[in-house]
Amino acid sequence: MNEGQTGERMSAGASGKMRTGELEVRFADSIDIVKLRAMLAAARERAGAPLERILTLNLVGIHFSDASWEKALIGLEAASALHPARIVGLIAIPGEEESVVTARVAVARPKGAAFFVERIVLRASGKSVRRLESALTELLVPEVPIVVSWGGRMEGALLKRALETADRFIVDSSTRPPSSLSEIDNLVGHGAPIGDLAWARIFPWQCLAAEVLDIPNLREHRGNIQTVKITSAGPPGAEAMLLAGWFISRIRNVDVSIVVGPEPSPDSAPPPVSPQLEVSGSGGKVNVVPPAPQRLLVGQIAALEFFAPPVTVALRREKNGILDAQVSGDDDGDVAHRLRLPAATPGSLLVQELKLLAGCDEVYASSLREASRFEASYRGSETPA
Amino acid sequence: MPYLPEHDEVPNPLSAGLRAATTPEPCAVVVFGASGDLAHRKLMPAFYNLALGGHLPGAFGVVGVAITDFDDNKFRAEMREAVGKFSRIKPVQEEVWQDFADGMRYVNGGFDDPATFQKLKAKLEELDHTRATRGNRLFYCATPPSTFAMILKGLKDAGLIYPPNHPCYSRIVVEKPFGHDLASARALNKMVLEVLDEKQVFRIDHYLGKETVQNLMVLRFANSIWEPLWNNKYVDHVEITAGEELGIEARGKYYEEAGILRDMIQNHVLQLVTLTAMEPPVAFDADAVRDEKLKVLRAIRPIIGPDEVAQSVVVGQYTAGSIFGADVAGYRQEANVAADSRTPTYVALKLLINNWRWDGVPFYVRSGKRLPKRATEIAVHFKPLPHSLFGAGATQPNVLVVRVQPEEGIALRFSAKVPGERYRPRTVSMDFRYGTAFGSASPEAYERLLLDAMRGDQTLFTRKDEVEAAWKLVDQILRVIESPEAPRLCEYEAGSWGPSEADQLLSLDGRAWRRL
Repeated sequence: MNEGQTGERMSAGASGKMRTGELEVRFADSIDIVKLRAMLAAARERAGAPLERILTLNLVGIHFSDASWEKALIGLEAASALHPARIVGLIAIPGEEESVVTARVAVARPKGAAFFVERIVLRASGKSVRRLESALTELLVPEVPIVVSWGGRMEGALLKRALETADRFIVDSSTRPPSSLSEIDNLVGHGAPIGDLAWARIFPWQCLAAEVLDIPNLREHRGNIQTVKITSAGPPGAEAMLLAGWFISRIRNVDVSIVVGPEPSPDSAPPPVSPQLEVSGSGGKVNVVPPAPQRLLVGQIAALEFFAPPVTVALRREKNGILDAQVSGDDDGDVAHRLRLPAATPGSLLVQELKLLAGCDEVYASSLREASRFEASYRGSETPA
Repeated sequence: MPYLPEHDEVPNPLSAGLRAATTPEPCAVVVFGASGDLAHRKLMPAFYNLALGGHLPGAFGVVGVAITDFDDNKFRAEMREAVGKFSRIKPVQEEVWQDFADGMRYVNGGFDDPATFQKLKAKLEELDHTRATRGNRLFYCATPPSTFAMILKGLKDAGLIYPPNHPCYSRIVVEKPFGHDLASARALNKMVLEVLDEKQVFRIDHYLGKETVQNLMVLRFANSIWEPLWNNKYVDHVEITAGEELGIEARGKYYEEAGILRDMIQNHVLQLVTLTAMEPPVAFDADAVRDEKLKVLRAIRPIIGPDEVAQSVVVGQYTAGSIFGADVAGYRQEANVAADSRTPTYVALKLLINNWRWDGVPFYVRSGKRLPKRATEIAVHFKPLPHSLFGAGATQPNVLVVRVQPEEGIALRFSAKVPGERYRPRTVSMDFRYGTAFGSASPEAYERLLLDAMRGDQTLFTRKDEVEAAWKLVDQILRVIESPEAPRLCEYEAGSWGPSEADQLLSLDGRAWRRL
């Protein structure tokens, strides 16, 4: 398709990911925002969306590969089904030779919803990548909170612009090496409003650990937690580090260690998920993905133990989506406590993070600081002499 | 030994600042009347949806108690079917259901039989061991008020009620109607509070579990623009409607004894009045909120004696008519209704609140069966302009409408200029709808209320003094309308907005009901 031409393609686009019913245009030169707005109006008309638009959120996804974007889009679309949103996707592929920006626009109504979701995706390759930064502001709905989901390294001009723009900036530190926690910590230290899906993933562990210490006959042990042992499924990822950091930040002089456990068996891998929002010529629909219990992945937390002599608290995942706590050693007898892991629907973690729409979670900030330090010392201890 | 926190107890180092809402403590819920309609339609689907959302503690169990001849498995099968049919989230996720169902037990027996409570005790102890429910019990009386005394006695005699400061909790949830009049409500409160502390009693009014009703407090106390206007200086009158197109369904026997004042006004409608009129509470906790609601009930001018009732109350009963194009029978033709019944199915009231904020502002409330449609809303009518720049009658006063059901939302009516060369105002509406601003389906009222009861949060439950104050107001009206000097029971055709006398109640003040 030539520059500035729009069209609907029913087959795969340049990246092989184009969806039915999307409008597409390619810009070899500058990005024509007026044209994009016209395409958006056309897409709204095709979808039968009313003139009165209700959007409560800008959900911006910035990614550096098609695969990363497609994965993130599932979460963004699930979140947009709860918060009527304009989804803006910026995919930057600097490594490709051709310098071009491809824009795709779609409007659809999530199944059962009374509102429409707008989606504008700009995929830039080669030298065109630099155009994305200035285009971002123009693509946002004014007066509405901006949440950015970031899927790349914590560097570059696009990062700077996104951080300046965002009311909340969501990363998933578990998708990066644990050493990247220090980069996030550095940004949080400078006031960046960062939320972390890895942090949201460890909420159940934190909740259950905290609940155990609220059991009346165990309250006497609150002040005596001396050691914590976290077992990761294979090499530890950011989640294990963040949990370690959380304990260190909450309990003075606690001795925390991470033990590398076996990698999870293939049957505990997550089921494949399909995109939530499919656009068709007559509007849109959502594929209902039934919520499934969380599955254990490599690098995640498999078990947690903490010791407040003479008491041992052992938390572990059961297969049926239950987090189980066993307490032994208390003179009142052994105690069991359970917590159901929240269903892991696509976007559920993002939705959880969206409960805080501005600023930074102080507990996360202090845990991240300790996690970053802990990770550095852990890495040092793991390095062969 | 009861658990008493020591003054030097170390705070929980892990719970401080945790953003994720923690689930309630482990517990077992006992549903009396478990084979009944409420358990099928509301309670079990609510529990299942809470489990699905991860809101229930992992250590959780439900024990059903009823005279129906079930065992554990039959009870599970029955409730599985009910959840499949009535849950707001479908299809049922088997893995979640299975874990939930593993914690379900059933006790077959009468509430007057001590053996029933011994069996219940054994089941609960078994759940404590197998499901780690840790001795916490929430008793839910999904049964008629006539059974409460038996249930309370049975629980007490079986040692299933703990004192309020015990390390484990025992709480009771009581369904409406809470009493038949002031005397019976007082007697019921006395009986309940002989066995339990007020902190252990959760009197449920499911209207308070509705999102929009809760949003009324957020609208008022989380926005700065309303508070300066929310008083007799700017508000002309308040109109509250709670109507439904349904008749009495198969509840003729109940309705003959209750009538609209007991069924709707004493509880749901007066709750809406209090939430609309209350002062800002000093804190958002159960007692602070309920203290303010109680003050409103106490400030409502009592309607005493035939003359005052005649001036401020209109009662009616529906006759045969048509709704949504279908012919429907009159009230007296309904099953289990006396042919000469004088039970009101409609009421309109003019309430005056004698306090600084609302002096002189009438609250008109109406509620009825077999109205043209289901509609519950609160409309705050602001005063007209002192002087219109655009010609007499060119503008209409502003109205803020809080729609409770259906299409939950908030609308503000105001004037805007009609495009063109002249200044011609026209009334337009800014309309906020939950469904278009939030994609998440609101939880059922029972989900929120059950969760609050498990958490021990009484904010959305009515307190003893609140219930009695509401009964006192309604009782004074009932005494007149159920006496030989009762005012005329006005007839209204099913499918109409009530008797014409209700229109006159407002027209005498120069006002009219909103067209809904």
